[in-house]
Amino acid sequence: MSDALLEVRDLVVRYGEVTAVDRVSFSLAAGETLALDGPSGCGKSSTALAVLQLRRPSSGEVVFEGRELTALPERELRPLRPRMQPVFQDPYGSLSPRHRIRDAVAEPLKVQGRWSSTEGPARVAELLDRVGLDPSYGDRHPHELSGGQCQRAGIARALASEPRLLVLDEPVSSLDPSVRAGVLNLLADLQDDLGLGYLFICHDRAVVRHFADRVVEMRDGRVISG
Amino acid sequence: MKATVRKLVGPAGLTRFVCLVAVLATVGLLPWLSHRDPALTVLRARSAEQEATDEALSAIREDLGLHDGPLSLLGGWAADLLRGDFGTSWVSGYDVLPSVLAGLQVSLGLMGAALGVAVVLAAALVAPVLVRGRGSAGAFAAMLAAVPEFLLATVALLVCGVWLGWLPTAGWAGPEYLVLPAIALGVPAGGLLGRLVADALPAVLDERWVELWRGAGVSRARIAGAALRRVLPPLVPQFGMAAVGLTGGAVAVEMVFAVPGIGRTALGAAKSQDLPLLQGSVLALLLLGLVAGALAALTRRRLLGPALRDAGLTLPPARPVRTHPAIPLTLFTVLAVTIGWGLLRDPYTLNTAARLAAPSWAHPLGTDALGRDVLARLGHGAASTVGTAAAICALSLLVALALGFLPGIAAGAADIANALPPVIVGILVAAAAGPGTGGAALAVALISWPALSAHAAALVQEVRASAFLTAQRAMGATPWWILTRHVLPSVAAPVARHALLRLPGIALALASLGFLGLGAQPPAPEWGLLLDESRAYVERAPWAALAPAVALALLAGLAVSGAAAVQGRRPRRTTAGPRGTLGARAVRKETPVGA
Repeated sequence: MSDALLEVRDLVVRYGEVTAVDRVSFSLAAGETLALDGPSGCGKSSTALAVLQLRRPSSGEVVFEGRELTALPERELRPLRPRMQPVFQDPYGSLSPRHRIRDAVAEPLKVQGRWSSTEGPARVAELLDRVGLDPSYGDRHPHELSGGQCQRAGIARALASEPRLLVLDEPVSSLDPSVRAGVLNLLADLQDDLGLGYLFICHDRAVVRHFADRVVEMRDGRVISG
Repeated sequence: MKATVRKLVGPAGLTRFVCLVAVLATVGLLPWLSHRDPALTVLRARSAEQEATDEALSAIREDLGLHDGPLSLLGGWAADLLRGDFGTSWVSGYDVLPSVLAGLQVSLGLMGAALGVAVVLAAALVAPVLVRGRGSAGAFAAMLAAVPEFLLATVALLVCGVWLGWLPTAGWAGPEYLVLPAIALGVPAGGLLGRLVADALPAVLDERWVELWRGAGVSRARIAGAALRRVLPPLVPQFGMAAVGLTGGAVAVEMVFAVPGIGRTALGAAKSQDLPLLQGSVLALLLLGLVAGALAALTRRRLLGPALRDAGLTLPPARPVRTHPAIPLTLFTVLAVTIGWGLLRDPYTLNTAARLAAPSWAHPLGTDALGRDVLARLGHGAASTVGTAAAICALSLLVALALGFLPGIAAGAADIANALPPVIVGILVAAAAGPGTGGAALAVALISWPALSAHAAALVQEVRASAFLTAQRAMGATPWWILTRHVLPSVAAPVARHALLRLPGIALALASLGFLGLGAQPPAPEWGLLLDESRAYVERAPWAALAPAVALALLAGLAVSGAAAVQGRRPRRTTAGPRGTLGARAVRKETPVGA
């Protein structure tokens, strides 16, 4: 599986005594959507955090674009982090209430040293347009947007890092059904255009069947099929 | 103050122990810390006519053990203490222990009586809420809780003692001597207790079980009893703090009414640099505070029972008193105009021809005993009192922001700081560094940060738990970027507003130190000092005492109504996200705002 974008082997995550993720393995190719499915509390979100190295796994390997991440110290990991980005469930909570949408989308560019006062604003407008938000929304604060609009802004912020992999943690679960379809279509279009790999966490069977190429089913921290 | 086993051994327990040892060591090291040569004090006290030669002073230093350095001094003091030897007074030459015990006995009697007054007043404030089933004790109770003891004591002394002549005003010769001090000490505590219970009750009476009990035909008296039983346990730690406040308030009240209690003993010892007596009486006061805290923790456990040890039973959010913003604005305007007018006048010019003059056009608030303009002194006093209070607020804000990131360490230190009333810290600082504005400011600053740091810690926890910070880490932001761009800006603004709300309360604490002679020194026009100076002439020139008293009362009103207006207006913002998201588990905590 040398062409795999992400390869997870025997991943274990422990919170004190509790083992949340128990020897989970899967792989994901570029342009592919892999769904993690299972009841709440089965370790899906813990797996996502461990893949992103936001919570370091207790053991196991996470190989991303050919590099093993779990052994890397934070300083060496930081330049690699932009390549894989999370999109969260709570559209409002994932954006700082104090910042305008424009600043939130511009922040990855600034953090990663790719901001310039001449090209930066145009890039932000382009990203907002890319996720179907009129660039005039850039002036607003999160609480002035709808849930679906906030989720689109969150996706624009993730795209600003120019990732290869998006970890989508229940990205449409807290949205209205009508808005849900729009966001899912946006994600599908982005995948077609940019060749992104999606690790898609969801417990809605209908959405999973419609959206995912492959499904890995989890229960009690273990993979039971897939 | 929650003494659970888990908390005792964590970092909070460690810092609590370290802070307690530090406070005790400060007490023990007072002779060494004191910048002024204690040998001179002792020499003066022992034989007034002896020359202060180098040999004589050196002999006394040898005698006191000051030559051997701080560590052996501390060791000797602690060893003597364990053997029950509190030392001998430098001034009188008597053993310290009997004086401390005698003072303690008087103070315990006074505090017991004050506690009785407090309970009666609290019951009177709570009863209407229980009978009506809704509403709250309102601004009146909050106001009572905010009035400092020294102000109430002075006013009670004037009205009941001097003008009406009903009760004796000085000494300790019979039960009638107990009445005024107990009222002055008990009313603020009772206001606080009554307000806490009365604010929490309406929300409890709206809980489902009350409806159910009513429907089942349970009598109103039994429902009221059960509601009280429901309200009390979470509030008991605050009652413990009120009891600690009594030990501090006792110092001021005992001084005003010349009650020979432990507080007055400590204050007198601090002023005459009689350090062994001071050490003994401060230790006794600290012990009183710690015992009160421990009793509160024990009561809480008894009330909760074995099943609900720690935070198992929380109250629904209290509905605080709401005030129209016009009230604090009016109070602020009246104070600002008075202060502004006074600032334009000269507070130091003596005019012996116009001593204790009544208010007139030339002197709108009259003159004091030296013929100085009272309005001018009020204005200039406000500038220094409020200016110092603002500096303390800024300092506590910085401390709170720093400690907000270390909640484990801060909690233990905060427990000790909460167990120390400002007056006792003021006495310690004054004994070590001499009385002065700087020392008083330091004393108030040392204990005014815990409420702010608890608020900051809650906010830091809330921001750190939010998903947008997780996103920051995922995009490769450094910890420094996250701290300076996201965490600090979200925390600093609300904590700064909170600090601003505490400013009037801090100014009152400064004034109480000034009143006791532990703060600004004459001829500085400090408000507490102003009140103290004019007390002696109160029968001839009541306005000179009335002006600072009214100004302090206005300040107390501003503290209460300002906090209430802000609290009433602020919408409750919840940031709690849906369950099960990547790291988004917001923590919402009651943010304590108030005087």
